[in-house]
Amino acid sequence: MTSVVHSVRLPIASTPSVKVGARVQPEDVLATRRPPSDGVTLQVAAALRRPAESASEHLVARPGALLQRGELLARDGRGREVTVPQACLFLGYDPDHGTALLSPLGVEEPIVSHVRGRVTRVTPSTIDVRVAGAVVVGVAGSGAAVHGKLRVAVHDAAEELRAGAIDSDTTGRIVVGGSRASAETLTRARAMGVAGVVLGGVLDKDLRDFEATQARRREVGGAGGDFSIVLLEGYGKIGMDPGVFDWLRRHDGKMVSLFGDDARLYVYDADEPPTRRLLVRAGDRVVGTRRPYAGAGGRLVRILGGLHVVSSGISARSGLVRFEDGRTGIVPLANLEATEVAASG
Amino acid sequence: MSIAIDTELALLVDTGTAWTKAGVIGRVRGRWRLVAHAAQPTAWGEEELLRRLVEQLAATADARLTGRFGELLARSTRVECRTPARAARLAVVAVSRELSGSSARRAAEAAGWHVTEMVTLDDGLSLAGRVAVLQSAEVDAWLLAGGFDDARSARAFEAAALVAAARRPGGPPVVWAGSNVLAADVIGLFEKGAATAVTNPRPDPRRDEPAELREHLQGLLRRIVGPADEERLTPVALPRAVGALAHATGLRVLAVDIGATTAMRVLADPDGRVESRVHARGGLAGAMLLPGAAGRIVRIDVDAGDEPAVADLLHNLHARPASLPQTSEELAATQAAARLLLASLVEDGVGGPLDLVVGTGRAIAAAPHPGQAMRMLLDGVRPVGVTQMAIDAGGLLGPLGSLTDAEISEGLTLLADDLLVPLGTSVVCRGGDPGRVAMRVTVHRAGWPAHSPVEVRTGQVQVIALPRGQEAELTIEPANGVTLGAARRSPRITATATGGVVGLVLDARGIPIGLPRRADDRRAVVASWRDSLMREAPVGAERVA
Repeated sequence: MTSVVHSVRLPIASTPSVKVGARVQPEDVLATRRPPSDGVTLQVAAALRRPAESASEHLVARPGALLQRGELLARDGRGREVTVPQACLFLGYDPDHGTALLSPLGVEEPIVSHVRGRVTRVTPSTIDVRVAGAVVVGVAGSGAAVHGKLRVAVHDAAEELRAGAIDSDTTGRIVVGGSRASAETLTRARAMGVAGVVLGGVLDKDLRDFEATQARRREVGGAGGDFSIVLLEGYGKIGMDPGVFDWLRRHDGKMVSLFGDDARLYVYDADEPPTRRLLVRAGDRVVGTRRPYAGAGGRLVRILGGLHVVSSGISARSGLVRFEDGRTGIVPLANLEATEVAASG
Repeated sequence: MSIAIDTELALLVDTGTAWTKAGVIGRVRGRWRLVAHAAQPTAWGEEELLRRLVEQLAATADARLTGRFGELLARSTRVECRTPARAARLAVVAVSRELSGSSARRAAEAAGWHVTEMVTLDDGLSLAGRVAVLQSAEVDAWLLAGGFDDARSARAFEAAALVAAARRPGGPPVVWAGSNVLAADVIGLFEKGAATAVTNPRPDPRRDEPAELREHLQGLLRRIVGPADEERLTPVALPRAVGALAHATGLRVLAVDIGATTAMRVLADPDGRVESRVHARGGLAGAMLLPGAAGRIVRIDVDAGDEPAVADLLHNLHARPASLPQTSEELAATQAAARLLLASLVEDGVGGPLDLVVGTGRAIAAAPHPGQAMRMLLDGVRPVGVTQMAIDAGGLLGPLGSLTDAEISEGLTLLADDLLVPLGTSVVCRGGDPGRVAMRVTVHRAGWPAHSPVEVRTGQVQVIALPRGQEAELTIEPANGVTLGAARRSPRITATATGGVVGLVLDARGIPIGLPRRADDRRAVVASWRDSLMREAPVGAERVA
């Protein structure tokens, strides 16, 4: 069984709550932090009985410092002191009003793992978790980290994910679609509690329409829970690589974690997914990456000698590809990627 | 008896983030010429690149060397430059978005930084929101700006404190580019050696002086992304080559490069002054970041397809920067995006007329038709006046710039025939009334009968065939209210035009280009401009649009 390392970056002033070797579940807390809240002012000059413009000379903390509750902020040398009432960031002194600008630390917030695995490294800035499973990296995505069981909701890699495929069985799942999903389908998926969607492609317009709908829902307080989208091939109506689709179908029902903003999908207890090689060779199974063959899988029959002028007028090293959808075309090699099934797969 | 045959080769390689270009220079009948050239996605690797070059050499070079080209290339003189594999990331923290923030951001972007975070005290975020953004920032350096010189701005100091609160001790370097009187206090917020102060780019509300900050940030960027072999970095090498070109030719040269991810402009004067700017996200992959890019592309190019398809294309250029446009719609949209990116690259002007504009990078220099390269340069740069236009088709300028000064000059001389492909000369005027004659141009060519003046109406482009190697004397009579950039003392301007694969382009479309409001009219006009530049014209004939 394969494994991969997932790194969780910790913001400054986080406190790790796991140790190396710990086993974590997606919902487990790896670290906590107290995020700064909105600014408050604290009288310094008045407390020291000094003019506002000169009280800054008595500050003992420098701007930017993290102060704990009761820690000294200013002292006049004659017994008068100013301490901070709660843990905070000291951000500046206003010489007009004689006040310090503080950003109190808020309530403790968890930094959640979102993956299942074993902690292999803990530093002040990063926690690494080794995940028993495989990762599929897409070309784009959006949304926060989510996890759930994988649910393949289309029959083939080129099929569009329709709203009708989203039902109560998909609630809490990561749904695999094919070539695209309309804004309506995405809106329905979110409304039905789908955790995330993995697609070959999506139209930029559909994605923007969906995001606008979600923004409006957030404004009226109607959108709850996280939702993530990952695109594996690109923007537009682009089918998923049939090899990757078949691999996902083999792992239907398994637990997965989806990171939309990072365009990554972790599939637990899975073998290696098909990999991509950029330099193709005659005989390779290939996938097109640009129109009119984006997402189409096929076999590279032969590489043409010299440069070939394609329909755009560009001269490029090209190859003859017999696609699985019945088309045959001459494609620039730069627009092809070879797919390779791992030995264990 | 066998005679040992040998030859000397030089391999020039320009490694970009997405594509690598390589040229082989060899002796042909006693002269150094470009004898092989290949371009391929960088990810394909060096072995594949050398294989392509050997194939080309085997097909064209002396048959007695067959079988030895691999060995000859392996021991050839290698001259190379490379674009840093990743852009250096910068957080800009400033007092105001419009003044200190915009000055700092522009200077940073022009120095080649990718501004990943921009926080200003007037950005509408809460204090907590600002601190949260900065605490999550993953950057290679921090740039702080704010406050005018000779004023102790509490707000500027607060901006600096935000960074002090968000940055890990021992973390990335900090640059203070704000009020000079706050410099010592701001530097004192950080551990020793972490922060440096540079001249305030906004010393007062009316002055914008980003040059010193830009230069400082360029140096910092080089230290971060390419501490070794600095002279081999394209942002260093290309300006050196363009500077030498300007010096050698006595021309004021602008070189523009729209790459897969980055864009660069180099402005060089004959007296040795060279100014360069690198935009880390100014390449084709960054086109989607231009405001309303898809809509603008559809508006300026009739062949680009519909707006949703162009929006998808722009995302895909970002996702797969090494791929190629295979359909004519995608090529048109990509070239239109390049025109917008070029316009953005020169939006703050080039400080006077240019003598020569050179297009480098595959988007321009590898355009399938020279008319397309001319159109990108002409529409993107809008060089007012009389300007020679050329492309660096072999991608040789960058690698040449990594040599010593003496070697660059020698290289320019030796490769004179192959270095640049001249597209021709453009005459671009500004002003004029729609539909009326903007300029009359008389073209005098040695050995040709004198023609009556060519009348170019406002909104028109005319192309006159002037092949490579030919020159023509131009007499230009701009109409009232029409200018060619420089002040004129006489109603007639004379200039010399040099020929090229496109010819002499007389362009009275204005700056910026004026487009009809009605969609049908706009489509017809844009198509006529395209056709005019793309049509092959017989020598002596004009192409009018």
